[in-house]
Amino acid sequence: MVDFGRVQKELQECNKDINVSGISVNPKSDNLTNLIGTIPGPIGTPYEGGTFNIDIDLPDGYPFEPPRMKFATKVWHPNISSQSGAICLDILKDQWSPALTLKTALLSIQALLSAPQPDDPQDAVVAQQYLKDYQTFASTAHYWTESFAKASSLGVEEKVQKLVEMGFPEGLVRSTLEVVGGDENLALEKLCSG
Amino acid sequence: MENLGASIVLRMEMITHGQTNGDREEIQEQFGRERTDGDREENLRTILPTMLQQFFDGHRIHCSCEGKRWRERYLDYYDDDYDDDFDFDDDTDPDRRAEVALQTRDGSSCKVITKECLLAAQREDIQRVMELLSLKEHQARTLLIHYRWDVDKVFEVLVEKGKDRLYAEACVMVQDDDNLNSTHCSSLALCEICMEEVPVYKMTTMDCGHCFCNNCWTEHFVVKINEGQSRRISCMAHKCYVVCDEDKIRNYVSEKDPDLAEQFDRYLLESYIEDNKRVKWCPSVPHCGNAIRIEYDEYCEVECACGVQFCFSCSSEAHSPCSCQMWELWTQKCRDESETINWITVNTKNCPKCHKPVEKNGGCNLVKCICGQSFCWLCGGATGFDHTWDSIRGHTCGRFKEEYTANVARATSEIMRYSHYHDRFKAHSDSLKAEITLKEKLQRKISNMEARELEIKNYDWVTNGAERLFRSRRIISYSYPFAYYMFSDTFLSEEMTKEERNIKKNLFEDHQQQLEGHIEKLSGFLEEPFDMYLEEKVMESRMRIMNLSKTADVLCKNLYDYIDNEILLHLGTTINIVPYRSKGADKAVELDL
Ligand SMILES: [Zn+2]
Ligand SMILES: [Zn+2]
Ligand SMILES: [Zn+2]
Ligand SMILES: [Zn+2]
Ligand SMILES: [Zn+2]
Ligand SMILES: [Zn+2]
Ligand SMILES: [Zn+2]
Repeated sequence: MVDFGRVQKELQECNKDINVSGISVNPKSDNLTNLIGTIPGPIGTPYEGGTFNIDIDLPDGYPFEPPRMKFATKVWHPNISSQSGAICLDILKDQWSPALTLKTALLSIQALLSAPQPDDPQDAVVAQQYLKDYQTFASTAHYWTESFAKASSLGVEEKVQKLVEMGFPEGLVRSTLEVVGGDENLALEKLCSG
Repeated sequence: MENLGASIVLRMEMITHGQTNGDREEIQEQFGRERTDGDREENLRTILPTMLQQFFDGHRIHCSCEGKRWRERYLDYYDDDYDDDFDFDDDTDPDRRAEVALQTRDGSSCKVITKECLLAAQREDIQRVMELLSLKEHQARTLLIHYRWDVDKVFEVLVEKGKDRLYAEACVMVQDDDNLNSTHCSSLALCEICMEEVPVYKMTTMDCGHCFCNNCWTEHFVVKINEGQSRRISCMAHKCYVVCDEDKIRNYVSEKDPDLAEQFDRYLLESYIEDNKRVKWCPSVPHCGNAIRIEYDEYCEVECACGVQFCFSCSSEAHSPCSCQMWELWTQKCRDESETINWITVNTKNCPKCHKPVEKNGGCNLVKCICGQSFCWLCGGATGFDHTWDSIRGHTCGRFKEEYTANVARATSEIMRYSHYHDRFKAHSDSLKAEITLKEKLQRKISNMEARELEIKNYDWVTNGAERLFRSRRIISYSYPFAYYMFSDTFLSEEMTKEERNIKKNLFEDHQQQLEGHIEKLSGFLEEPFDMYLEEKVMESRMRIMNLSKTADVLCKNLYDYIDNEILLHLGTTINIVPYRSKGADKAVELDL
């Protein structure tokens, strides 16, 4: 049985200093075993400006067993699956300790966004790119942040829409945007030059 | 008796049919019988695995490249022994006395640990460490688990690196009890796990100084035991790896779940076997419940109290003079019959239409599958049927011709080599199985002779002879996989030149053949109905069996000496082979505590 008393206290504690940390945890439904955590993309990284949602599932043994966490927001990162959002982080596995909290776990995930560990990858493709071609990695990660982690900004969908209306096929528009890191003008240039 | 006779006859036939035909000629001869040379369309057939099996069965009887030499040796030795006139008494036999001495020297080196004495055996080691370092039981156990129950290693690290390093490496924390409790004196304290204010008397501080409430500790222990981590349940604090006090764990868990507490104790107990490099479970199936503890070299063969003999190092059947690695490779090889599969790949091609393997056995390069599809043997491409001896209409190629010939030659010689060793290995291990029944028969013979009230009163020569036969039979049997790898040009390709390898192989085979000759003779004499002979004749049998037993022992020893001094000594790679013991596998005696 999950220790709901503790979870309740954790939520209160965490949301108290939300203005400082930017990290919040809220119940998805009212049973407190499914939660949603939010972390801001760290400044000075390709994730800057994005807001990342994390699905949290509390196992029966929580806090004696680690919480199950995965990214709900798509993210381009060597230690996070670009497909499933699964996170490769030791404290979510064998290094979990009951003395850790949901907030400390989310802080660790935020730290992971700032400091990828490509030697212990979750997503081999991303890790390869990170090691071999950092520039492309950074622009892809930035593009994904722009596309998926920014609800308010002028969305990628709108850019796609605009270019499709100009007469380019949608698939090509999307892949071109991805290549140029989401820059609308560069994409147009590229599309026109064939 | 009849069965045994038959198996020996079969082996004798193998010897007497010995021909010096090369391996390749033989393989062709084998297939020659199956081949029909008439219609061109009939030079093809779909291969079935059973046919391959028949080939091997057939080959087993016919192949005996070494047979002739083998037989000459056999006869030489037969005559030698007959001519020699040994005469010694059981009680004055110097070898016998030597064996007794060996027995007492080695007698205590290997122990059976039954379920009942497992606890005592473990406690003995824990006690030693507790006394030496004045530690608590759980601290001593944690140290021992970390150092794989090697008490000497613990002392070694203590001397070399000092107490602090010794403890730190194993995550053992030693503190005075007074220190621990003085830090929490207020009546209520916050447990940082459940985030509740808890009365201090309901909280527990571990060796590391971290303090949480008893409920939280209990939950933590339950989760860890269920995860199978009983042997190292560390503290709950983040990045604190200090192992918790097992008495506390046991107390808290048993309050909540007594069965789980029992399971915890069982895990701790079994750690003594599973984390211990000197102790192994007996591999018997169904399991006899025993474990074996050795004192010295892990490369040894032991016999459990349940009668099972095994290689201590790899826990599989006793396999000396094969090394563990060779034995593993060999069993793997025998299991997947990779050579057979290999043979199929070079000698058959799949039909491009129905994909069944089709064998070509001579004739032109057009083959026709039973499904009706014709195809070019060289490239596997589907073709029409219109063709001449050297061309297929509308199809030109020939690219695989050379590669194909080379592959066939390589695979054929490898398969012949393998089956040469495998045949001999199997012949001897089959004999060993058959000879096991000999024990009972010999017991009956002894009873018969005792009933006749002969002058001879001591029948040790019968049982000793049988034991010698089994031991030597094992050795000769496992010497074939050993030779298969040792003299292969791929296993240790850098270690020996081709010439060296050949010389050593021939000398090794000499040793094998001498031993083989004596083993067969010993087996023959033990089979004789000597219990029915006149007393004078019984004496003769006795002498022959005793002499042969003695010589077999010496020959086994020579074989091992040859392996050690002439082969292994010159290798750069270390190959660990369980040394020869005249007494056979080390019989483990029950641990006396
Ligand atoms: Zn607590
Ligand atoms: Zn601790
Ligand atoms: Zn046993
Ligand atoms: Zn072994
Ligand atoms: Zn076919
Ligand atoms: Zn033809
Ligand atoms: Zn062809």
